[in-house]
Amino acid sequence: MISTRIDEVRAWILSRHPERESVASDENLIESRLVDSLSFVELVYTIEAAADVEIDFDAIDIQDFQTISAIEKAFFARA
Amino acid sequence: MEAVSYTAQWTAAARAVETERESGALFEDPFARALAAPRGFELLEEYGGGGLLPFIAIRTRFYDDAARAVLAETGIRQVVSVATGMDTRAFRLDWPEGTVLYEVDHGGLIQEKRARLARLGASARAERREVSADLATDWLPALAHAGHDPNLPTLWLAEGLFFFLTEEQAGGLLNTLAAASAPGSRLVTDMVSRQLLRSPFNQSFLAALKKDGTPWRFGTDEPEEFLAANRWKTYEVREPGEPGAGEGRWPYEVQPRARRGVSRSWLIGAEVTGA
Repeated sequence: MISTRIDEVRAWILSRHPERESVASDENLIESRLVDSLSFVELVYTIEAAADVEIDFDAIDIQDFQTISAIEKAFFARA
Repeated sequence: MEAVSYTAQWTAAARAVETERESGALFEDPFARALAAPRGFELLEEYGGGGLLPFIAIRTRFYDDAARAVLAETGIRQVVSVATGMDTRAFRLDWPEGTVLYEVDHGGLIQEKRARLARLGASARAERREVSADLATDWLPALAHAGHDPNLPTLWLAEGLFFFLTEEQAGGLLNTLAAASAPGSRLVTDMVSRQLLRSPFNQSFLAALKKDGTPWRFGTDEPEEFLAANRWKTYEVREPGEPGAGEGRWPYEVQPRARRGVSRSWLIGAEVTGA
């Protein structure tokens, strides 16, 4: 399987949760507490680096961060 | 008990969890489990995540260390724990000879805490005086009545309190403490960043607190300036995970101050300044 840049986001999530082997694209990252308010900033920087985008903290829509699919759609769609 | 006492219960529950760690506990509070009843563990589960457990542990240890350091370095021998909740420092820490510790909180909490600690056979390691007072009113007379002398320097401990206040109340409390502080008085306290209150990822936690009658209201991104504007000069401002504030126990990267959008907590030491 060819690694894509969204996989960098998935890898970051898994690196924070060594008890997990995988995270599904449609799994809710917030409800499952895979991402919380304090790790969120690290998630944003991971997305910025992987997608080569700049994310405005003052205009964040939480819907864009609910799942890996949502992150991909919001920040990687132009790839 | 009044609503804010639920906070005291889940804070005690978090301290019990830390105490019962298999190794590397930052402190031991053998009374915490009994003080967390009846709802502490349930609320902790409801609010948990977002670093709450390690934060309470780190914060508790920070205050322990800060209190010991202030009393060792200064002649201060009167200590006032404002909104003391289920804090047990009077029973856990070694205090210099002559230390008098005032514990201020709602009468209902003070009574309940006294009853539980008596059942546990706890005995204070310093002279401990209870002050039943409503912090929303003029409570300094009650403190003075218990023996506090504003002409002698005081160490004030205000742990886990400021986020429950409005910005106006927060500034008011700092000025109230300063008004009862002889030169050299110190304040150890904590605050959250404004961003912590705004972050979309915190909204469910904040909504749960609000639903339970204990909303978080006040945060500042510039604690040094906020304290300075209200008569306190900071000598120590740390974030969890930094040296002296739970380094190695904080499961997040400590972000540089310049980075925007970060949920932060400030652990603060300050000295009173003139009016």
